[in-house]
Amino acid sequence: MKDSVKTTIVLNVLIVVFLALATGFLLKAWGQPAPLQQIPLVDPEFIKTATVRVSYSELVAAKEDLSDFDCYGCHEKGKPPVLRFDDKHMLIIPEEHKDIVMGHGRNNRNNLCTNCHDENNLERFQTRDGRELTFSESPELCGSCHGPTFRDWNAGAHGRTSGYWNRDMGPIVRKDCVSCHNPHSPKFPGRQPAPPPHILHPPTNPAPVAEGEH
Amino acid sequence: MSDQRISGESNPPPEPEGMSRRSFLRNSAVFASGLAAVAAGLSPLLDIENFPSLQEFMQKYYKEMTPEEMKKVLERIEREVERQYGIRPHVRDLKPLDGVEYVYCLNLTRCIGCRKCVHACVAENNQSRNPEIQYIRVLQMQNGSFDMEKAVHDYNPEKVPEKGHFYMPVQCQQCKNPPCVKVCPVHATWQEPDGITVIDYNWCIGCRYCEAACPYWARRFNFTQPEIPADRLNPEMDYLSNRPRSKGVMEKCHFCLQRTRAGRYPACLEVCPTGTRKFGNVLDPNSEVSYILKNKRVFIQLKEELGTSPRFFYYFDV
Repeated sequence: MKDSVKTTIVLNVLIVVFLALATGFLLKAWGQPAPLQQIPLVDPEFIKTATVRVSYSELVAAKEDLSDFDCYGCHEKGKPPVLRFDDKHMLIIPEEHKDIVMGHGRNNRNNLCTNCHDENNLERFQTRDGRELTFSESPELCGSCHGPTFRDWNAGAHGRTSGYWNRDMGPIVRKDCVSCHNPHSPKFPGRQPAPPPHILHPPTNPAPVAEGEH
Repeated sequence: MSDQRISGESNPPPEPEGMSRRSFLRNSAVFASGLAAVAAGLSPLLDIENFPSLQEFMQKYYKEMTPEEMKKVLERIEREVERQYGIRPHVRDLKPLDGVEYVYCLNLTRCIGCRKCVHACVAENNQSRNPEIQYIRVLQMQNGSFDMEKAVHDYNPEKVPEKGHFYMPVQCQQCKNPPCVKVCPVHATWQEPDGITVIDYNWCIGCRYCEAACPYWARRFNFTQPEIPADRLNPEMDYLSNRPRSKGVMEKCHFCLQRTRAGRYPACLEVCPTGTRKFGNVLDPNSEVSYILKNKRVFIQLKEELGTSPRFFYYFDV
């Protein structure tokens, strides 16, 4: 075969190859990354900074309805309410207070309303050392029993903080005990966790991982 | 073909009268397809988004920029973010405060593993939503052990906390002796005087040495162009922290530098429903963190045997 024919053939083959490559590149026929799996945006509920409860002082500050705290709307002044107990010495919660869950302390021992509420003035708290406190002074009341926690709370080591760590640049916002704890059942309730991290390319056919392998 | 054959045999062939019609057509076909092939070969370049502008390309190293140059850079970033997201951000370059060294304390007794901190961090710091980049990894640990091999980070029960487990969120520990800084070949990451290890996203070359060096798995790499919905963009930005990153750069927790250097608490702390997280200036003897380090059972600095000396302390109540 003559050289010129060879050249022509090679040139033509190259043309075809290049054109095929060009088409492939332009049509993005290969080498493209696998499409990402759709990840739903996280529910904004999970990034809200609101506390789980609203304390009395916050209700007052927000000028909310305080009728729940108006004890003498129903009770009679100067007549302490009578507590009734069942045969297991458990407090019988009256129908009007059915929303109260008595869960303060382990073993259901702390089920006496008057441990904290003053039976002679229901709109006040009483501590073991004889102090009278208003509804907005709940940290003092809780602290009268939970000393170390109260000490930590005063130092800023217990409870929620927000605002400014640098007091020169702005105020710090502290929350009362009852902004997070239900006083009648103070254990912090469990909650739904925010979604876990998503895998970039989830395996289509996950192979079982053998014991001891990573 | 005939004249071609002749020209192949006898060299040098004098072109008779310019070019024949046939060879012209063939040559132009070869030329055109060659051009098309070259263009097609270069076509993947079309996929490069956000090709750096000349100004960005010529930008100096963070520590070498004068305040005037930094002002121009911040304006450029504001322009570019506005073009991309349609929101004019407020980009600052906050400097470390004098007499401040940040410390983070995390109460392992209180953490319930709800992951609110993870998502508040993503929202505050403009992390990519797809693929997901998250600075905080919450580990579900077995009670009575610190075996991280048995820790799970993708737990998803109906309610947390689960019995028999405790939860340990892990993020950048802002080490005093950071291995990630030592390995960076271009000094794109360094420790600031207030203890925060930062990254100049324009200086990072994406080699991921720091990711390999970090014993806490705290660094995240942008393998693709980060995707942030415009309505979720946080417009309060800082050069060294939460301005949008580009593909191919490293990022990590910076203690919400854009907030903390303005005196505020980090986003993960403010969203925590249980008050697990505590943050402050350890040089101030009246700060919360000083109180905790003095009075609480500060149990671990994570992997303290490595000598990284984290500024992140885990402690227990009681």
